[in-house]
Amino acid sequence: MRFSNKILLMLSILFFCLGSYLLFPQERFRQSPPYPEPLQELKLPEIAEAVLSNGLKIAVIRYDNLPIVTLRLVILTGESASSPKLPGTATLTANMLKHGTLTLSAIDFEEKIESMGGNLTISTYPDYSMITLNLLEDYLDQGLYILSRMLLQPSFSKREVENAKRSLYYELIKKNSNSEQVAKKVLSLLLFKDHPYQKSVLNQDIIKNIKRENLLAFFQKYYRPNNAQLILTGNLNLNTATRKVSRYLNSWSKKEVKLPLVPASHPNSKLKICFVDMPQQKAAIIYMGNIISPLNSSNYFPLLVLNQVLGGTPGSRLFMNLRESKEYAYYAFSQIELFKICGLFYIRAKIRPEVVYPSVMEILSEINKISKEKMPSFEIEQAKSYLIGNFPLKIETHDLLSLRLAQIKAFQLGPEHWSKYYQNLMLIDADRVFDLAQKYPLLTPVVIIVGNGNIIIDHLRNFDEVGIYNNKGILQYSIRKESSNETR
Amino acid sequence: MNNWSKQLLISFLIFTLVPFSALGQEEEGFPFPTFLYTLKNGLKVVLSEDFSLPLVSVVVAYHVGSLYEKPGKAGLAYLLENLMFQGSRNVGRMQHISFIQRTGGTLNAATIEDRTIFYQTVPSNQLALVLWLESDRMKSLEISFSKVEQAKEALIQEIHHRQEIDPYLASSLFFDQLLYPDFSHNHPVFGQEEDIRNITVSDVKKFYTSYYIPNNAVLTIVGHINKRKTLQLVQKYFSSIPKGKEITPPVVVSPQLQKKIIKTFSNSLASLPAFYLGYQIAPPASPDYYPLRIIEYVLLRGQTSRLYKRLITRQRIAYDLKGNIEQRRELAALKIFVISSNDIMLTRSEKAVLSEINKLKSSLVSDDELIKAKNMFKMDYINQYATYLDRAIFLAENMLHHNNLDNLSTELKKYMAVGSSEIIGIMHRYFAQGQVLLKVKLK
Repeated sequence: MRFSNKILLMLSILFFCLGSYLLFPQERFRQSPPYPEPLQELKLPEIAEAVLSNGLKIAVIRYDNLPIVTLRLVILTGESASSPKLPGTATLTANMLKHGTLTLSAIDFEEKIESMGGNLTISTYPDYSMITLNLLEDYLDQGLYILSRMLLQPSFSKREVENAKRSLYYELIKKNSNSEQVAKKVLSLLLFKDHPYQKSVLNQDIIKNIKRENLLAFFQKYYRPNNAQLILTGNLNLNTATRKVSRYLNSWSKKEVKLPLVPASHPNSKLKICFVDMPQQKAAIIYMGNIISPLNSSNYFPLLVLNQVLGGTPGSRLFMNLRESKEYAYYAFSQIELFKICGLFYIRAKIRPEVVYPSVMEILSEINKISKEKMPSFEIEQAKSYLIGNFPLKIETHDLLSLRLAQIKAFQLGPEHWSKYYQNLMLIDADRVFDLAQKYPLLTPVVIIVGNGNIIIDHLRNFDEVGIYNNKGILQYSIRKESSNETR
Repeated sequence: MNNWSKQLLISFLIFTLVPFSALGQEEEGFPFPTFLYTLKNGLKVVLSEDFSLPLVSVVVAYHVGSLYEKPGKAGLAYLLENLMFQGSRNVGRMQHISFIQRTGGTLNAATIEDRTIFYQTVPSNQLALVLWLESDRMKSLEISFSKVEQAKEALIQEIHHRQEIDPYLASSLFFDQLLYPDFSHNHPVFGQEEDIRNITVSDVKKFYTSYYIPNNAVLTIVGHINKRKTLQLVQKYFSSIPKGKEITPPVVVSPQLQKKIIKTFSNSLASLPAFYLGYQIAPPASPDYYPLRIIEYVLLRGQTSRLYKRLITRQRIAYDLKGNIEQRRELAALKIFVISSNDIMLTRSEKAVLSEINKLKSSLVSDDELIKAKNMFKMDYINQYATYLDRAIFLAENMLHHNNLDNLSTELKKYMAVGSSEIIGIMHRYFAQGQVLLKVKLK
């Protein structure tokens, strides 16, 4: 009797498998991933708050893991309050605070900070500015003293104003050589055209025109205790913190602050493709997005889930499609940026230049998909599980914790962004995400492509129309598909 | 009953019958609790409980890096690090990453001269998942021809990318060859293109079976954990991984630079001239290392350090200044790198650096300056254990260096005890005759 070849083959496979098992046995638990234990409760640190007689709001988070204190002062006015002719005034005013005081030269001031093991960072956003001082906890009093000198006796000397302007000028020049920063800059310029938020995109040529008087005027007007919030994190309680802050900052004088009204911003209503030429770049960068408004808490949480499914991490749809499946991209992510009156939702991707057209079309098709089809429940649950699991990592350090609180204060966000974060996320389902995807103008973004024109320009002719811009966001000319004509 | 079932039963009995304190060693006198335990296969386990957040960080650190590579195989250690994400017996290609990311966690890995570290932070209810993943790739990594070839290609692309973005890369590698005495210490962790092309599957398998073994590894777990339960999980996933052969560490060389080496490197990629200056110094095992680190801070750390103030703020003769103490197992060096806008400025910068070094040999550092340097050092030291992950890496590295955690409660105090007069002595000992100066000239 003869075995057929098929049976012989099956038997060999069986013997091979059995042989492998006998030779290399393994415990059964190794064959599949273990189930998780029940999720442990996140106990958020308490925020204790007080207001000084001059109107300065204080928030304290007790955090005693390390002998470090973080002092974060939020001035509730940002770049959108700069004069329309002098964008950059808010940034330079804030930056001046690290350029010494009436009694300490800039270098002596820096010495004092480093002597406390400290570091000082200053950052300005469209809606607020932040001064952050990290130091060893033994130096809390000295740290508060330094902060008080910055606010009560800033130098604003002519020489230091020039130094600050020069530093900012070179910083901006440097940013112009980074294709991702150029793409983000032009996207913001075009989306916030004629809106106060456009002022937060600084122009190095205008920085030169800002004078010491402009900075002093801005400082006098907005750097007031009743327009500020001080956040302290470290091993201290509200009573101690209030007593110490009051000792150093009670003489900071109050004055009525009239904040300029920031009007509503209007989303882009028609797909707009723009190109910025940066000849040295090997890869092409795509930044595309739109203004989303209003961004209240009922929209915010479904948006978090939508963002996570679409492009929050490497496991999300954009990355899996553009990088893993199509091999167009080095990366592709989506992101949410918060402002006081709206949000910005955008996608950023780094791609091979020759696939610029299919990449943009593929991203649009992914966006189209989320506005046409409800997301499957398992994807929604996976996204929620990621966001819930990841949240504690966002508040793990002094710095992160106080940064989150600063944003909550600056944007006047409610408890849903802090103590009710988990509950709000748990309530999100596919219907709410789908409603949101239809409500927001995601399919009519401004698309910015940055890269080497010599390689990309021919591929751009696949689009109906492309505006060619310089890196200051000014239209130079357009190219159209039909005739490939250039229109100046 | 087969072997592993027996082992499980024994573990179970041990953990239910033996008092917990008898299982391992509780370390005291440090800002956070630590518990040390060694499995029978030699795997060292360090646990540190912290209940502030529902997170856990897990680090697996192997005592191997580029120093263990043989001539002609530069890049093997880094290549293997990449292959550790390409699948093991029960985990598919890149699944390690997707499993961790799905939980909301983060992960990464790093290879340096004498260690390779894999790390992740996840919600604490997912601890078993991480141990399952890490034990699977320690026990049964799948190394195939196609995976090795893919990883080699990716590594070569990475080298090209590094060359493109860093015009000073070639000169810095040449500088390392002058500063360090032999192949083991002076070749780059990311390897050399021709060597990488020559790496075979059998090279990778041999490296894996020689070094990725429990008796050459440390497992640290920090976060919201229950010690007893965690040790049970560690036993379950790691105790059946067989112990490997004892490892012979690379030959310790004791090079003493006795003279000044001055060389020039012609660079066609850079647009500005630069120089490197290096000194061989005492390694961390030496008591001299404490004052040397404080000297590093006086000279180079922060915007008010001596060199930054002189070269960048006051005289504005340098465009960029970098420097630090670098450690390669039993060797350490202080390296300084300066870029200036032209040759005249570069010569002035070089003189200024040497003059600042000489000043430290002849005059005492003031009390205020010493306090500043120590406080900056202290802040950096404390920040090494700021997050659960930082702490897990910090503990793993300490275990790899010292094979115990005995020094943790006294380590910072030793740096804080450094005095001004001690600095002068150390400066004379390590910043005398032997130095390497490499000038980068534009082609």
